[in-house]
Amino acid sequence: MRIAILGRVFAVSVCLTAASGCVSTRYSWNDYDQKLYHHYKDPVKYDEFCAQLKEIIEDGEESGRVPPGLYAEYGFTQYEKGDFKASCKYFKLESDKWPESRALMAKMISNAELRDKSSKKQSQPPVTEGGAQ
Amino acid sequence: MKRIVTLALMGAALLTGCVHQKDLSKFEAAKPTSILVVPVVNESVEVTASDYFLSTISVPLAERGYYVFPVNLVKRMLEDEGLSDATLVHTAPPQKVCGLFGSDAILYVKIKEWSAKYMVLSTVVNVKLAYAIKDCKTGETLWEHEEAMAYTPQNNSTGNPLGDLIVMAINAAVTKAAPNYVPLARQANAKTFNTEGLSIPFGPYALQR
Repeated sequence: MRIAILGRVFAVSVCLTAASGCVSTRYSWNDYDQKLYHHYKDPVKYDEFCAQLKEIIEDGEESGRVPPGLYAEYGFTQYEKGDFKASCKYFKLESDKWPESRALMAKMISNAELRDKSSKKQSQPPVTEGGAQ
Repeated sequence: MKRIVTLALMGAALLTGCVHQKDLSKFEAAKPTSILVVPVVNESVEVTASDYFLSTISVPLAERGYYVFPVNLVKRMLEDEGLSDATLVHTAPPQKVCGLFGSDAILYVKIKEWSAKYMVLSTVVNVKLAYAIKDCKTGETLWEHEEAMAYTPQNNSTGNPLGDLIVMAINAAVTKAAPNYVPLARQANAKTFNTEGLSIPFGPYALQR
């Protein structure tokens, strides 16, 4: 409890020093950094992290301020969970929004499509190599 | 008289020169629009530091106007490529690592300090970071910076010496249980990427330019 209050006080003071950061940001982050930190702290709660990423995307879409990398990050959680269709969808969204991501997203999409096909052929998905090559 | 004026001018130049301006000519010539953040080399004894730090870096870089590759995806992909050791990634040719992701520039961060010093009545938390951005085509260093931050829990005076002692003791106990490095790392990043003359220039997606 005390730690939480201290943390909050500190966060406010950080915002004050960073000034511009809190007033108006380019993107709708929705505490993305805090959520990623909690994921690294407590990786077991993976579903919670996935849901939070999705929330950030949905909120960001309302204001047209989805941060760079978020579609891809969420798509990757779906890839890791074995939902290759969903992962493709989000990799495509990232690719459409950010031209800088296109080379990587093309690889991610073709990986996801490959795994989607092979998971349909066999009940057990085969191990594919890392993919980013 | 002339000499005095020159001396005065030199003094003024020295005073204003306190904020050391970075040479951004190489960065401006390379004009990267995307930055790949690779896993962080951790020189501290806190094993969690690298992952915790990684969570703090996307926001300030993207707000500065750059496309930042998704840090968690990048970390996981590198692990799959057999590059889970951050030192290995940092010593590999930038062109090779960038080639896996198609980025313009690559940011290397080294955690030099991530520690808490416990004193009797108060605790000081320290974070020291070394940042370097390299060009993905040439491998040349475009910008580098080192930032250190220290934090002592606020000792709000109660106006009564005995009350003050109690507050300080509570602060030390709280920090000892869970030294909070992450806000400090965020603050270091905010200072590094928001201070004109220190930071990299605004990127193509920045609000103000």
